[in-house]
Amino acid sequence: MPIGNLDVPIIGKNAVIGILVQTHILFAAFIIGAVLIAATSEYLGMVTKQNNYERFARNLARFVVLLFASGAALAITFVLALVTLFPVFFSILQNIFFWVFLVEAFMFLGQIIIVYAWYNVWDKLAYRKSLHVVFGFIAGFFGLMAMTMIDAVASFMLTPAEVTSQADLVARSFLNQTMVPLNMHRFVGNFSYAGFLIAGWAGWRYLRTTREDDREYYDWMGHFGLLWGFGFLIMQPVIGYGYLKGIRESSPDSFNTIMLGDKSWVFNLLVIWIAVLSIASTAYFVHKLRFAVKPSETLRKLAVGALGFTALFTVLNIIPANADLVPQIGLVLGQGEDTTIPLGSMYPWKYIGLIGLMLVGFFIVALYLKASANGFHWGRASRWSQIALMSCAFFVVLTMVTMGYTRETARRVDNNPGYLIHDCVTLDQKLVSKHCPTEPLTEGVGE
Amino acid sequence: MDLALLLLQAGGDGGATAVGLFRFFAGFLLVITFFCSFLGFTYWISKDE
Repeated sequence: MPIGNLDVPIIGKNAVIGILVQTHILFAAFIIGAVLIAATSEYLGMVTKQNNYERFARNLARFVVLLFASGAALAITFVLALVTLFPVFFSILQNIFFWVFLVEAFMFLGQIIIVYAWYNVWDKLAYRKSLHVVFGFIAGFFGLMAMTMIDAVASFMLTPAEVTSQADLVARSFLNQTMVPLNMHRFVGNFSYAGFLIAGWAGWRYLRTTREDDREYYDWMGHFGLLWGFGFLIMQPVIGYGYLKGIRESSPDSFNTIMLGDKSWVFNLLVIWIAVLSIASTAYFVHKLRFAVKPSETLRKLAVGALGFTALFTVLNIIPANADLVPQIGLVLGQGEDTTIPLGSMYPWKYIGLIGLMLVGFFIVALYLKASANGFHWGRASRWSQIALMSCAFFVVLTMVTMGYTRETARRVDNNPGYLIHDCVTLDQKLVSKHCPTEPLTEGVGE
Repeated sequence: MDLALLLLQAGGDGGATAVGLFRFFAGFLLVITFFCSFLGFTYWISKDE
């Protein structure tokens, strides 16, 4: 029976999948991160008896419960679009990863049930708080497991290894070379992304509210969100390096495309967003130290120094390697690739920039946490510090979208042909290598 | 409209074409629009408690 080759007018079927998945992931990543942040906050509220933690956890849990519908609806629409627009590719994926998809579906179901139960029994379990906190963490765990399953599929699409025997199949399909680094990257990224969005939301509410107690609460919430956002962001250079190393070893042409070739501008965009996130966060911390209950001029001076170093290191990361900036739209200066830009090379400058950014980040977070131990005077933050938080929320969304585009466009290489599964299945759904893993993971078990 | 886009794409050499650029920016705009609308709607239905 022939399979039709449907397309979508104007926008094209590739873009349809991209739009649905990108939007879905903006919700899914937030939900996974937010559930774990809310559960941690509830636990902190239980231990410290500070009301802000409990209020924040409960409000966030309610928002996540309501937001679940959008995230889930987009996931279903995406699967429907994939089955309809890429039926051959979807069949191949299902064939290899049937059990993985099935486990993912049940993890998703578990997450929904536990998140709803967690929110619904908030009052009933008010006197069994430890048990209630466990509900939140279990919901987060289910979310992480669902993410792990889909990461196996997503990483496999970029770095599938050649399978020559059944014994290779699980190791080279599920545990392909970039599966673990991608999973770590997303695990940390969920917290960072959700944290920045929470901080941005708090900044917005802080500027809008007129009640003093609400101002204090939203000021605290911005601080709490940013600690998650920036605290986890500074772990990403090392994890991201591990991920890119995996791509370079398994799919070198993809690595070259996104790091050195025609699409290296997406990585330059990415570091611009990260530069804004880092500078805005560090500037916020410097500002906040003015309102420490026990002010320390030394701490503040060190923080100002850290802000200067953050700016310096981010500039090092931004400088492009050559004048071939965005060849796709003709943005080429001088002699293009032949015009090298001083301080733009990966080694040593980008490494210095990334490692420096991490070290300064840990330093400023440590300074800030030291000041936090004695508390801050809440509700006195300036307007621009809240705008810095809102900028972080905006730029973290751009970071997510840019990173998603980068990973998927890496498989196009020179578009001759572009791949759905790298070196295996082309964009027009043709299988091009006989060694491509297309058998179910369980095939040959027990032989 | 569709025919014009297809013709533009057929004339390309694998690099960026006008239709590719259009889809890139249209896709980005749609992602942000969906995200902000759904998020805004969720806030709207949750704020009266």
